[in-house]
Amino acid sequence: MTVFKNRYFLQLLRFIVGGVFIWAAVTKIADPLAFAQDVRNYRLVGQALSFLTAIILPWVELIAGICLIIGIFPRSAALMISVLLLFFIILVAVTMLRGIDVDCGCFGTFSRKADLWLILEDSLWLVMSLVLLFSPANEFCWLKATKKTF
Amino acid sequence: MNLKQILGDRETWKGIFIILALSLAIGAVSNLSLIKKFLQGEFRQAFIARDSYPGLVFITRLEVEDLWHNQLATIVDSRSVSEFKRGHIPGAISVPLEEVRSGNFGLLDRIPPGRPLVIYCEGGDCLTSLNLARLLHERGFRDLRVFAGGWEEWLAAGLPVEKEDDSL
Repeated sequence: MTVFKNRYFLQLLRFIVGGVFIWAAVTKIADPLAFAQDVRNYRLVGQALSFLTAIILPWVELIAGICLIIGIFPRSAALMISVLLLFFIILVAVTMLRGIDVDCGCFGTFSRKADLWLILEDSLWLVMSLVLLFSPANEFCWLKATKKTF
Repeated sequence: MNLKQILGDRETWKGIFIILALSLAIGAVSNLSLIKKFLQGEFRQAFIARDSYPGLVFITRLEVEDLWHNQLATIVDSRSVSEFKRGHIPGAISVPLEEVRSGNFGLLDRIPPGRPLVIYCEGGDCLTSLNLARLLHERGFRDLRVFAGGWEEWLAAGLPVEKEDDSL
């Protein structure tokens, strides 16, 4: 579809997906301990891994979000964001199946329950992110870090 | 672009490596004080900063037993009413967190002020005791002792149990 090759459309998608990730990251960076507890509440990993996730993951989200928007390694950023979203979707689904009632931890204190709506929302971001990942016209970079154009 | 091309491109991996390395470095540097506290074992039971919650501590079953036996503390059960009815620590007061959260703050009046509180929930990974302790801390209670082992540990130790029928 030609709309997927329209660079302004792609840039808009990058602003949306990158913006969501930056926002999500900032709310977590503001309170790492609260996020660590949110991670722990999923009952998937122990204290140490929850802590490690809480101090590193928000920065991955932030930097990947910024890279996606300003066009430094946009393909790498889109790939990382897609993988993260896929992981979040699976995580929430598994948590629901296990019958664990938790706050998602996605937007710090603005978080809500990890439920079906969250899966749908994450799926929407995932679709956008995948469009960016596979788009042949994703060369619209403000700061060009790669010599190649795809 | 297909996935094979993307994954086969060195630029993709270079980008991922740089993003991850930067995140690791910034995450570590910006959280040095938390990392120090973590290594000192401060977050062993829960991720709360001690300086934000003075007076909130975690205690073991033996400490609970001692406080209970000598009646030195008020025991608070943060589980649901039905769980409480099925069995609880003798003399415990039922203050279900979910009911308090849904607006029934009158339940907090059951807690006598000025006495140490021992708060427990089901055990394992249950969180209502800690969350109730946080809520009580915000309301001015300052001697809060969370029994993380909870009901499961109490029961497993073969200690006395009180049921709804007994208390009536």
